This record gives sequence, structure tokens and C-alpha cells, in this order.
Amino acid sequence: MNDRKTLTFAFMDPPFESERTVTFFRLLDAALEKDTHVRVFAYEGAVALAFAKQSPHGNAVHGRNTEEEAHPLTKDWIVALQQKARTKGLNFEWINCGLCVDERGVNDVIEDCGRGGPPDLWRYASQSFNTLTIGTR
Amino acid sequence: MSNYLFIQSQDPFTEVRTEHQFALAGQLFDAGHNVQILLVQNGVIPARQGARSQHLDQLIEWGVPVLADDFSLQQRQISDDDLKDNIAVDSVDSVIDALLDGHKVIWN
Repeated sequence: MNDRKTLTFAFMDPPFESERTVTFFRLLDAALEKDTHVRVFAYEGAVALAFAKQSPHGNAVHGRNTEEEAHPLTKDWIVALQQKARTKGLNFEWINCGLCVDERGVNDVIEDCGRGGPPDLWRYASQSFNTLTIGTR
Repeated sequence: MSNYLFIQSQDPFTEVRTEHQFALAGQLFDAGHNVQILLVQNGVIPARQGARSQHLDQLIEWGVPVLADDFSLQQRQISDDDLKDNIAVDSVDSVIDALLDGHKVIWN
């Protein structure tokens, strides 16, 4: 019997814009560390967090090439969390709001990130032990 | 009686709404609820000794437990010794603990 709890996180910030994104990923990692199943509903700009075509770049101003710059990509962070969850035998589910995806043209997402809508957030929240909504303000 | 954890990411020096956020925490505490505040991101700025934040200072004076995220402190080069009295260093682990304990966790 798996008595591990499930937490849902709703997030709406786009990648590369806000410190909230870093805190959000720290929270997801902390939840997995505590052997918790994780469900994420990404909406508005957050649907781009899983965009597969994100690309690292160098920094000419600082004279660093792509490898030296090691620019972090949120899609890679999601993959790392997916792998961590698998290693620990936990579920890590991710659904992007489909309308938000279409608006932004970020349909090409990494594996195991699904497409849905607000009813999925309702389902996630209803079935989870607790839910945290992180607003943009 | 309910348990509340406020994740305070906004600081009072750039966000006027912070005053109302701290006021709500104070009202809930005054009404007998268990209230805890975790300062994260720029929310840790008023935790530094000498920082003038009337509303946060009032909450501390009333005995509301106030925590400051270690990562956010490190990013801003604020050490434990720089913090006001009665502010404890913690991490976002406390958010997960509160969620798993069924507390009401609110992001500000």
C-alpha cells in the first residue's frame, strides 16, 4: 500500500523572467525529497517551461561560450525532476493549459508533459492532499 | 482554529500590498489561528537588522513565528548574524511540511 501523499502545484510564470520560477522548482524538488507525489498544472506563461526547443547560449559580453555559460533551461530541470521521481518510485505529472500553449505557439513540449485545461487543475486539486497556487503577484 | 503558512516573497520596500498581506496575517493571529511566515526571495530584505518594516516588526513583536529561507538569504549575502531577533533560518522544506500537515499555505 502506497501511503505517500500527493501535492498539486499551480504555476503561471514563464521561464527566464522571475525568481519565482527558481523557488517553484525548489519546492518541487523539496516535495520529491520528502517522498511526495507531485502534480503540476502550468498555465499562462508557465506552459513554456516545458518547451522542447529551449536552447542554451553563450555570453559574448562575458566571453563565455555555450558550455562555459551553462545557461540553465527549465525543460532540463523538469527532466531532472522526472528522473528523480522515477528513481524514488514517485509520480511526477505535468499538465499544460492547452489554450495557453496555443496562444504562445509552444506546442512542442518535452516527453511526459501533457496537455489539458482548467478541469485538470480541479481534478488535480480535488485528488491531492493539498495544493499550492503560486500567483504572479 | 486553522494553521496558516504565508510564503512572503514580496518586500515592503517595493510592494505596497505587503502592508495588507502582513495585516491579514496579523488579523488571523489575533483571531487565535496558528500563523507562520516564511520569507523568501526579496521577502527576506526586511529581516535584516536595521531594516525598517513596521508591519513585519509588529508581527515579530506579537510572537508570530517568522522564518527566512536560507537560499534567499545566501543570494543576498545576509548571514544569520544579520537577522533581527526572533527570525529563524529555514528552507522551503517547511512549505512542504506545512502542505503535508494539511495547513493552509498562501503565496504572497
